[in-house]
Amino acid sequence: MFSLALKNIFFYKGRSLTTFLLTFVSVFLFIVYVAFMDGAHRSMLKNALDVYTGSLQIYHKEYREKGGYDYLIDDVSKPLGILARTKGLKAYASRLETYGIASSKKHSSAIMLTGVDFDKEAQLSELKKALKKGTYNSKGACVYMGETLAKRLHTDIGEKISFVGSAVDYSFVAELFDVCGIFKTGMYDFDSQSAFMNRRYFDSIFLSEGMATYIVAMADSLGENDKIAAHIADRLPPQLELYTWKTLMHSMVELMKMDSFFGYISMGLFFMVIFFVIMIYGFINVNARMKEFGVLRAIGVSDARVSALLFTEILLLTLAAMALAVPLGAYVAYYFQVHPIIIAGMSDMYKSYGVVSDRVPTLFDPVIIAWNSALVFGLNMLSILYPIRYVRSFTPVEEIHHV
Amino acid sequence: MIRLVNVNKYFYRGDPREVHALKDVNLSIQSGEFTVITGPSGCGKTTLLNAIGVLDNVSEGEIWLEDREIAHLPATQKTDIRLNSIGFVFQAYNLVPVLTVEENIGFIMRLQGYSDEAIRIRVREVASILQIDQKLDSLPNFLSGGQQQRVAVARAVASKPKIILADEPTANLDSKNSTALMEMMKELNRKEGITILFSSHDEYVMKNARRTILLNDGAVVSS
Amino acid sequence: MFKTVAHMAYQNAFLRKSRALLLVLMIGLSMAVMVGLEGLYDGMSQHMIEKTKRSDCGDISLFAPRYRTENSIVYHISNAGKKVALLQGMKGVRDAIWRIESEGLAQTARKSRPARVVGIDVADEEKFGRYSDFLQKGSLEFGKDGAFIGNVLADKLKLLLGSKVIFSMQDSSGQLQSVALRIKAIIHTTNIMLDDRAIYISRQKLNKLLSLPPKSATQIAVLAGDTEVKTLQQHIKKAFPKLDAKRFAALYPQLKQTQQLLDVFNEISFAIVMTVVFIGILGVMYVSVLDRIREFGILLGIGYAYRYIRLQVFLEALFLALAGFVLGSVLGLLFLVYLKYHGLDLSVFSSGMSMFGLDSTIHAVIKPGYFVSTFIAIVTASLLSIFLPLRKIKRLDPIEVIRSIG
Repeated sequence: MFSLALKNIFFYKGRSLTTFLLTFVSVFLFIVYVAFMDGAHRSMLKNALDVYTGSLQIYHKEYREKGGYDYLIDDVSKPLGILARTKGLKAYASRLETYGIASSKKHSSAIMLTGVDFDKEAQLSELKKALKKGTYNSKGACVYMGETLAKRLHTDIGEKISFVGSAVDYSFVAELFDVCGIFKTGMYDFDSQSAFMNRRYFDSIFLSEGMATYIVAMADSLGENDKIAAHIADRLPPQLELYTWKTLMHSMVELMKMDSFFGYISMGLFFMVIFFVIMIYGFINVNARMKEFGVLRAIGVSDARVSALLFTEILLLTLAAMALAVPLGAYVAYYFQVHPIIIAGMSDMYKSYGVVSDRVPTLFDPVIIAWNSALVFGLNMLSILYPIRYVRSFTPVEEIHHV
Repeated sequence: MIRLVNVNKYFYRGDPREVHALKDVNLSIQSGEFTVITGPSGCGKTTLLNAIGVLDNVSEGEIWLEDREIAHLPATQKTDIRLNSIGFVFQAYNLVPVLTVEENIGFIMRLQGYSDEAIRIRVREVASILQIDQKLDSLPNFLSGGQQQRVAVARAVASKPKIILADEPTANLDSKNSTALMEMMKELNRKEGITILFSSHDEYVMKNARRTILLNDGAVVSS
Repeated sequence: MFKTVAHMAYQNAFLRKSRALLLVLMIGLSMAVMVGLEGLYDGMSQHMIEKTKRSDCGDISLFAPRYRTENSIVYHISNAGKKVALLQGMKGVRDAIWRIESEGLAQTARKSRPARVVGIDVADEEKFGRYSDFLQKGSLEFGKDGAFIGNVLADKLKLLLGSKVIFSMQDSSGQLQSVALRIKAIIHTTNIMLDDRAIYISRQKLNKLLSLPPKSATQIAVLAGDTEVKTLQQHIKKAFPKLDAKRFAALYPQLKQTQQLLDVFNEISFAIVMTVVFIGILGVMYVSVLDRIREFGILLGIGYAYRYIRLQVFLEALFLALAGFVLGSVLGLLFLVYLKYHGLDLSVFSSGMSMFGLDSTIHAVIKPGYFVSTFIAIVTASLLSIFLPLRKIKRLDPIEVIRSIG
């Protein structure tokens, strides 16, 4: 049956070529499309996590619901000790956030001032890489602020700004700081509201030594993050709780899921049409060969063998198309992962959704490629079911006399 | 060897278009016979051959092949009988277009699971009898009608069936090819002892048959 | 003769029922899904744009020079009421509105967030952008110390109806001002720039807090009527040469880009689907002609002109394609009507969608263009699909055909 199927493929060239080409296009398009879609998502997420969020954060219980200084982590040494003993973390650090009004000579703006360990942040986030002007690792009464915020306050390196807020004991804080560094991440909200200060000086002003709003950590591999998070969560004191990026970036994760949902719907439309055309060509082909099937069945070829013959034909055609499309699609996915596409005209849109860079790499993932190829393979196999049913709906005598 | 008992066949039964194609057919055909079924067009020759070859279901009656009733077997068992006990020769040759002459002749034996060597030997033997041994590598579309029909006969006999059913095998052939084909069939009947059952209204075929069954309007008039 | 040719074409088109059915189903189903998607994507972008225009910038927004770069109330529009009245009287303007806003810090007892306070007039907003549509909870009355708040900001600050919030900002003289406000309404515009950051108070009150003369505005938003927006922008620029008049696309480039991206995506999808549909029609027509090649040979032999055969084959392809088009139109329209009135409920992605500026239920729009463009594409595909089969017929020698039958 195999050699008969092979001969049929070469004999009925029109059908074979159409099926081959359409399958090739489906598989190639699907692999590349999904690689781009997943790549854009991955890069969006990675940017967002790399810039500041990290892959997991530890809070005092109820901080995220109620907020305020009453729910700060009051002793960071214990959770930091747990993180120090955990394998698979790239870096970790504690942060303490406070809000207040910053003013230059003439202008004021609401800001989020965060006390950080600049050395640790250099490994953990993009803060150091985002430096535009001045110094990153400043000591003393120095702030490192977003470019848009600096513009808003009409301030620059070496100038002074005042900050009005409250210390963690709710006492009033009014201090003068020097602008020592200016950064730009490309994320508007972050650049227009955030300022950072070295932790030692911050603690002396806000009376927050040993305390933290949260502890942030970045896993070496995002794929391992859940496992690491579970390991840490098991060891945390009961008053603390851990959130992974999936919760922290819930909206973005949903946005990506929604985007994938529409992406798959669109691909589904292409597949539906292609599935129909492959089925129509398969159907036309069996119609033209009806006499042949009649003879085969008359001389003792069982229905199962006739079905197997048709299955073998579509199988060989599909495998041949996939043998070409999968490596090619995978190569494109891999190539653009290494050499990301630059969508200059789209940078505004991408920035607004958190893709700081306008370089959009594809995602080369052999498992996803295998799944996508398997889906097209399955659809092709399904497309022959109706033609088989059609052939089997006739008796051999009817087929022999088929016009 | 073959026995038909009160066989009736209706098309479109219960419909205004109803046709009573076979009417109470009772027949016995012995092993090794060379028989022709004849009669005017539309008298039921093909229907009768299809019924004997369990290609088509009968509406009523029984068909016995040796000591086994075959008309009411499940489809898979009928397929087995066609594969292992019956050879078919059709009016329009009906060869598999993508297979060479050699592959067409050996096709049934391949389905039966014979070894490549056994198939090769048998194909050459049959092809030699039917004088198509020079055409073994050709595709059917490159053969004349007479050659194609010989290939069809070779395909039917190669697997040594108990019976060959040939439906108007000479209808598409000229007289020279018809004569040649009949001679070869007779030879096969004699040499291989295969029971051969024709449907035909070709004078020459009828003259050469040892027994003639005359059908008219679906009923056996003489046998 | 045309009637006879058309009759023959019709009979032949549907002679092979299974084959015709497969083709009609392919065209119909793919068209239905395609127009459904087009409607949904258009609905999505229109919805985002329309709500943004209603809740914020209109078709055109006017600002004082430097306001957009400096983002400071120092650069405000004075006598905004008068200017709005003038604009409302302008040809091509459906409505105009003025607002005042300032950046600052919103604080509760436990939480703080940078935010922006927007001074509005509820009656004017209602007239301009059906403001009451945006009300999620509470009532649209400011009272003495009332404020409305964007739903995302309310969630971040854990504010409920009746909760108190302090808003601190810098006034026009550079002094810090704070005001205590009580939440009267929670607003959901789906414009994330507002929902995430805005606290709304009465614009008279905000003018006072910012120590600005009454009717000072940071923005005047204009909704266009029938006039083309670009032309209207030029008229407005002429009438108010000292103000900076910007169109929606310049104010929300990312939304414009999203819309363009969706349009391009729709066009590419349409082209791919129609190409595959063309291949489907071509296959069916080619085989249909091959099946009847002898019949055509005989027809040519008995004097049936080639042009009639050409017409017949074209009509056959057209009948099949039109049957698919009719099925696709009916299914597509049903699908679109359902999506327009019931929408596609994607509340599983609700927070992601709000980040995108969308409601969790997407409503489709229905444009006749979907059907017209598909009709044109299908007729074109039918026309193109007959060239190859016709070439076969053209090469036929009637004598050969008749001889082969004999």
